[in-house]
Amino acid sequence: MSDRRTTLRAAIAAIPDGATVALGGNTLHRVPCAAVHEIVRQGKRGLQLVKTAGAYDVDLLCAAGCAEAVAAGFIGFETPFGMAPAYRRAVESGAVEAREHVCASVIAGLRAAIQGVPFMPLAGMTGSDLPAARGFRFVADPYGGPAVVAIPAITPDVAIVHVQETDAAGNARIVGSRFEDVLMAQAARRVIVTTERIVPRIDADLVAIPGFLIDAVVEAPGGAAPCSCAGEYDYDADALGDWIAAAKTADGARQWIDARLLAPAATR
Amino acid sequence: MSAAERGAPEQMAVAIARALRDGETVFHGVASPLPMVATLLAKRAHAPNLVYLSIAGGVDAEPERLPRSTVDPALLHGARAMVTLADLFDLSARGRLDVAFLSGVQIDGTGRINMSAIGPFARPKVRLPGGAGSALLMPTARRTMLWRTRHDRRVFVETLDFVTAAGNVDRVVTPLCVFRREAGRLAVDSIHPGVTPEQIVAATGFPVEVGPETPLTEPPTADELALLRAIDPERVVASEFAGG
Repeated sequence: MSDRRTTLRAAIAAIPDGATVALGGNTLHRVPCAAVHEIVRQGKRGLQLVKTAGAYDVDLLCAAGCAEAVAAGFIGFETPFGMAPAYRRAVESGAVEAREHVCASVIAGLRAAIQGVPFMPLAGMTGSDLPAARGFRFVADPYGGPAVVAIPAITPDVAIVHVQETDAAGNARIVGSRFEDVLMAQAARRVIVTTERIVPRIDADLVAIPGFLIDAVVEAPGGAAPCSCAGEYDYDADALGDWIAAAKTADGARQWIDARLLAPAATR
Repeated sequence: MSAAERGAPEQMAVAIARALRDGETVFHGVASPLPMVATLLAKRAHAPNLVYLSIAGGVDAEPERLPRSTVDPALLHGARAMVTLADLFDLSARGRLDVAFLSGVQIDGTGRINMSAIGPFARPKVRLPGGAGSALLMPTARRTMLWRTRHDRRVFVETLDFVTAAGNVDRVVTPLCVFRREAGRLAVDSIHPGVTPEQIVAATGFPVEVGPETPLTEPPTADELALLRAIDPERVVASEFAGG
């Protein structure tokens, strides 16, 4: 059994600028925040983010200047907190391109990559301006049925997911909602898993992502915070509220990042 | 007195719940406290065989405490099975989802929604969160229920800045009234107690016919209010309202 354990610093250092990076989790839940924080510390640039529904992760990477484009269905902090201020500002200023998807078309793009085909037909999207705005083409059914929208394959260079438990080889157990994490791991060229705990062995029945699909395993207790991790901890409403308040202005976001992530005392 | 204090959240919750039928498969996604509460109410009140599905993936969850984020692991508690979001979109795509709950930052007179941008899409004045699953769900779910806790001319507009999704809209529930789609246009189905027809006309950017003959929405019954208090003692139902 291969031992895929490494440090967070080494795992993130292997991501080149400009990479397409899929982030696991959904809105405020089981988001790979420790890895996102390390991306900010290492000052990555030009990242093309892929996410179904994002919040703190995408907002922070936009504020820190790491992201160049965001392919996602929804970016917002939900009812407790509202819109994502740094993402909004970055798109409105032209610094970041919003490649809006329907969440289902992110999944369709990942499925195309998983299945080794160039695109995936998807139901719906009729009457929406999204296909025209995003260049998603409707294609005729070669067997005579109705036309369907064809979503191009999304092949992340790297998928990063945070889970509750792995073994040293990366066999990963996800407790509770799996979101799109398994699909992201299957579609990506490389997979980084951060985990609350590394245990000697996980029952095969409980493994959501097999270790042979994984390139790097990083033990990162609390690695989803300030977002939630099912069975481990809830999201930290104070910390998220603090970020959103700071991120209302570009200066506020920069100072928050300097103090919380970049100052020597804040590192690791 | 704010809308939340006037009881608008409970009025909206019961109006939504009553529109759900026993045995239907019903789905809500992110940022959906009112549909979450309304679905749980319908299941307890008149639709025990309703299948409650959420983006968290729990099937028929019985949450001990209601979360404010509707993706929260609290929506797995008591679930009988787990599905993924991909499973839920597939269910709708093949015509097996009865009801999808969606909302719009802007909603037009045909029930289409904008969740994408104010101003040009490529360089917006306001970049909105995005439509999440709506462009797939709205055309494929058997019926879509829209809800919005603000009813004014910035929300209910003649022309959308961008059409994020269009499709099988059945009803739109607001703090003032319930719209129903008839012949492709939103029409006032019932007006909430304490609201005047003039208020609705003034708050709606597209033409609506509403007058003294428009039926009144039945206010929440004592039984419904008791169930709501049992399901939602912390009044998460009001969390989408200012001051809620």
